[in-house]
Amino acid sequence: MTEIQTKEELNDEFKNVKYILTSSMRTKLLLTVYESSKNLEELRTELKKPSATILHGLKELETINLIRKSQKYYELTSNGYLLTTNMIKLIENWYSINKSKKFWNNHDLSDIPDDMIKNIYLLKDAEYENSTTSNLSNAFNKYIDLLSKSTELKIILPIYSENHFKHIINLLDENKLNNLELIVNKKIFKSMKQNTDLKNALLKNSKVKVKCIEKDLKLFLTCSNKFMSLTLFFKDGLYDDSEILIGKDKDAMQWALNLFKFFSD
Amino acid sequence: MNFHNEINKDIKFLAKSEIRLKILSELYVQPNNVRGLVKKTNITYSSVSSNIAKLEQNDHIKKISKKYHLNPISEIYFKTLMDFKNSVDLIRDYDGFWDKHDLNQLSMDSLKNITDLKDSELIETTPLDIYKTHNTVKKQLIKSKSLKAIFPYLHPEYPQLIENILNNEGYVELIIPKGIYQAIISQIDLKTRKNASRTKNLNIYPVDNDLKIYLTISDRSMSLGLFKNDDSFDQNRILISETEKSQEWAENLFRNIKCEVIK
Repeated sequence: MTEIQTKEELNDEFKNVKYILTSSMRTKLLLTVYESSKNLEELRTELKKPSATILHGLKELETINLIRKSQKYYELTSNGYLLTTNMIKLIENWYSINKSKKFWNNHDLSDIPDDMIKNIYLLKDAEYENSTTSNLSNAFNKYIDLLSKSTELKIILPIYSENHFKHIINLLDENKLNNLELIVNKKIFKSMKQNTDLKNALLKNSKVKVKCIEKDLKLFLTCSNKFMSLTLFFKDGLYDDSEILIGKDKDAMQWALNLFKFFSD
Repeated sequence: MNFHNEINKDIKFLAKSEIRLKILSELYVQPNNVRGLVKKTNITYSSVSSNIAKLEQNDHIKKISKKYHLNPISEIYFKTLMDFKNSVDLIRDYDGFWDKHDLNQLSMDSLKNITDLKDSELIETTPLDIYKTHNTVKKQLIKSKSLKAIFPYLHPEYPQLIENILNNEGYVELIIPKGIYQAIISQIDLKTRKNASRTKNLNIYPVDNDLKIYLTISDRSMSLGLFKNDDSFDQNRILISETEKSQEWAENLFRNIKCEVIK
């Protein structure tokens, strides 16, 4: 293949994305008109650019059928609406990633399915907490505090931690917890069975459902009726209890529930 | 301006160069060195190496034992960017399906997951086959043991198709305008209907509001139809698919609309 052919193929593969994302004027026009249809005057005020620049951008978007003019007002076409909705999703996805940049960059993300990554914008209001040298168990304490307010819990538990078990069993004993679903791997399941206390408190408890899966998941996920949280493993395979992502809004909880379902189904 | 109004400079940096995108998509599949990338992509050595340098400078890739690896965060950036690319491609591929059509009945969720409809097939009628859309759906339904559907209008063949599914002990769930409820019901055999209502195999939700969408979900396929902006149903186009993803997408849309109309 010649260099020109390669170039043409590349252009073809990415040209639409490039065309839309690399012009600030075009993306801003789409985002502004997405809110509501606007006339030139309003666009000029909002975008603080001269008419000629705005008209030029509008023309370009009209040509590719993303915007249309109807009685002096510019509005999105169906295609424009669909595309802009997905562009906002992209912006929110990146916002969400950047908000907890350290959290995502520090950890092994290989067990988070692609579909969850594509909808990571759902975590845009989630907050990332880490432990500090002055408060080594900040992340854990925050977690336990939230846990104690829950009445329903679904947990993917990738670690065998007496500390975690202790708190969960307390909640069950105090009748605070109505339902608990656990996903664990074979190793942990075996250890649970070998420990008489855990066996009685969890495995024989009618409020508790334990699912044992083959895969050794590298994520600790909690979906509660009050919050969701996620902790991860370092790339070297060790569990990191110092950083936690916590979300209390509907979107974040939905994201977590989808992730839980992905492994429980 | 809030964050909704800005395309982040990192997005622009990646989107600006097709070569960088190509390199990322190769490294996403597997770590590689410059020579390997040249071989895979047919891009010149100098272009690959200069763009590798830029990607490294911007913290997207890292050299680990002679090979370049995507940083974890860039891997997620890349996935979300490709998701956007796929949505743009999907809009373009089925241009005639979306263009000048009413999308208001599609939930935000459905719009944002539109890439789940990847690998669908757009069925369009032709002057030689004006019933192509209907016949395609019919073929899906004849073989199916279950049906969930939003029918904004009544096709004379629907009652019989529904009756057949029920007679095979299949499950049927319909969202339809109030106006066609009687017409559908009265054409399904009484005994079949009674039986189905006893076994709860037939659930119909008649609604007051206009339904501006056509959706069928059968055992292994889905079909989607839209209204045109002038409020008429577009009988000449449907999007059909047999992928698992599109099936889930359709189920989700059905659930959302059901929640809305049942209130």
